[in-house]
Amino acid sequence: MRFGTAVTALLALNILALMLSLGVGSGGYGYLFQVISGNADDTAMKIVLDYRLPRYLMAIIAGASLSASGCAMQALFRNPLAEPYVLGVASGASVGAALSVALSMETIYSRIGLAFFSALLTAYVVYLIGSSSKFRDQTYAILLAGVAIASFFSGLTSVLIYFSAQSMHKVVFWLMGSFSNPFIEEVLFALPITIAGLAYLLFTSWNLNALLLGDEHAAAVGINVERFRKSLIAVVALLTSTTVAISGVIGFVGIIVPHTMRILVGEEHQKLLPSTILLSTAFMPVIDVVARISTSGELPVGAITAMLGGPFFLYLLMRRSV
Amino acid sequence: MRLVVKGITVTLGSRDVLKDVTFEVEEGELLALLGPNGSGKTTMLRTIFGMLKPLRGVVLLDGKEIGNAEEAARKLGFLPQDTPLTNLRVIDIVMLGRTPYLSGLKRPGDEDYRAAMEALREVGMEDMADRIFSELSGGERQKVMLARVFAQQPEVMLLDEPTAHLDIAAQIEIMEIIQNKVEEGRAALVAIHDINLASSFATRILMVKDGKVAYAGRPEDVINEESIRNVFGADVVVRRYGRGVYIAPKPKVPNGLKRVHVICGGGSGREILHMLRDAGYKVSAGVVNVLDSDWEVAAELGEVVDEAPFSPISDSSHRKNIETIENSDAVVLANLSFGRGNFKNLQAAMYAANLNKLVVMDKTPFKERNFVGKEAEELYREILERAVVVKREEEVLDAVRKLLG
Repeated sequence: MRFGTAVTALLALNILALMLSLGVGSGGYGYLFQVISGNADDTAMKIVLDYRLPRYLMAIIAGASLSASGCAMQALFRNPLAEPYVLGVASGASVGAALSVALSMETIYSRIGLAFFSALLTAYVVYLIGSSSKFRDQTYAILLAGVAIASFFSGLTSVLIYFSAQSMHKVVFWLMGSFSNPFIEEVLFALPITIAGLAYLLFTSWNLNALLLGDEHAAAVGINVERFRKSLIAVVALLTSTTVAISGVIGFVGIIVPHTMRILVGEEHQKLLPSTILLSTAFMPVIDVVARISTSGELPVGAITAMLGGPFFLYLLMRRSV
Repeated sequence: MRLVVKGITVTLGSRDVLKDVTFEVEEGELLALLGPNGSGKTTMLRTIFGMLKPLRGVVLLDGKEIGNAEEAARKLGFLPQDTPLTNLRVIDIVMLGRTPYLSGLKRPGDEDYRAAMEALREVGMEDMADRIFSELSGGERQKVMLARVFAQQPEVMLLDEPTAHLDIAAQIEIMEIIQNKVEEGRAALVAIHDINLASSFATRILMVKDGKVAYAGRPEDVINEESIRNVFGADVVVRRYGRGVYIAPKPKVPNGLKRVHVICGGGSGREILHMLRDAGYKVSAGVVNVLDSDWEVAAELGEVVDEAPFSPISDSSHRKNIETIENSDAVVLANLSFGRGNFKNLQAAMYAANLNKLVVMDKTPFKERNFVGKEAEELYREILERAVVVKREEEVLDAVRKLLG
């Protein structure tokens, strides 16, 4: 598919997703039309702008962060199965969130704050361990350190949940990922970080192409691989920590979306990365709408993406080349 | 343009990988780096490119040190040994060669695209610009990687085993592409394992051993049995064909085994000598003229009783032949033709037949290879009566084995 065609189609999908996200729910499209036409009452304004809009924004923030990070990690590790959480961010954030509940720090900000910082710290530790190991290939050492630390932290999270079972249902639901009722403050916290992080990834997408050929080839065309890898890892850690602290662990988006766009526009990152972001900002709100309306309560978004992700993985496996 | 490598010493861990390496490359030169695995070839290329910092010594391009990585990438085209498979298109990969010329957001322009297409044309891949890299053959991939280097428009190319894992046609093609580029006024430093390929294409060879330059010079001066034994620790036979060389393993000499003498000439003994030699017999041949094709084979595989080129067998050679026959455990009379010049060989065969140790390879009817006359025909008939006769080369070995018990 030509890049221009892809972008046009994706923009159309984004508008559709926006309409769905702001329109679907109790009261239906009526509220949205009232707001658009300018004669909305307080209820309509409240539902569309205070309830649905932050939710939509959080969905596109999470979608864009996770899919762009996944795309970058797949290039960095030259591994189609690399995902945004390879740095241990998800398990780090989980420990932080579980800790906040275990320590009875009940406000939402303490949970987000602890999750955010423990996620960043985890990524940093993973990087330190990986890059100072005796492994010849540092990139893979980081990958392996991430796996080891993630499994340790998920064990720790389980223990924390076990010992404070009563108050943990919130953490458990958060762990499965959800955009339910984000505060506008959370969105405002996440938005600048996300925009800056995505801008960095987009500006350096050319270098991601070089990484696909291996560190030595990238260095051979004049890229400072060590510095680029460091800043790439820092940006991805920041993006995913932000998202995971607010919306919990939403799996597979970082794999499904980039791979779909690889099939459609190819591997070249100056095309792949922007179109990946555009697909995710349409995909994630739609998944959220499904989560909202599929039961009388609400399904965790992470569960839906995971259920989509499994079959998609199998599809990737059946294809000749990934 | 002149690249000077002066006294570089590189330490990795606690090991000196390069020790005081000094050499120069100028434009128009294709310098081959030869040496066993772990001798420091790759380290040398990485150090010149600036990826590794030498403990001592300096690398100068036209008298100046090369600056940062970007400047290095504009002047030096470094091709690492292995390229991972990727689903990037060919053109995307070649465009990466333009990276050191891009600034800011790194949006390549028309000029970059033209340079990339020109580079693809130079390697003969301009029609494959939109193909997916991972779907190409090994040779095609290596040509794409060379095009990436060309797109950098470097003055010196540093190529780490560009022909590794390729079939012979692709190896030659890659080396020709490099050679053409060098002749346009660039220089290339090529780490390579194939000594034959290196001496066919290199203007100069640097043989590296344990991080030191052991030999340097033109291929014909540097490549010989001694240098290869010293650098690679391998015993080989070196043959020259013009500027190229052909290298074959030197057969191990068996000791205390039986000796088999082959009476041959004109290529009739070649296969038999090899066969006997491979079976572990100590072989000799005679009487053959110097420069005869059998002489070459026999000289390589064992001893030879020879005669001056194009001369009839002298009495002294004949005596030596008889002596050798006496000292041999078996004698084979090959399927050779007889004229006045080598009639003595037939008499020698008769001598061996009388000692009951002759095997005759009687393939072509004797009439067709007898240019002496009746005398020879009768002698041959007598020989056949007293010898073990076989009709094909393959049977010679069995006959010899039976004869020797």
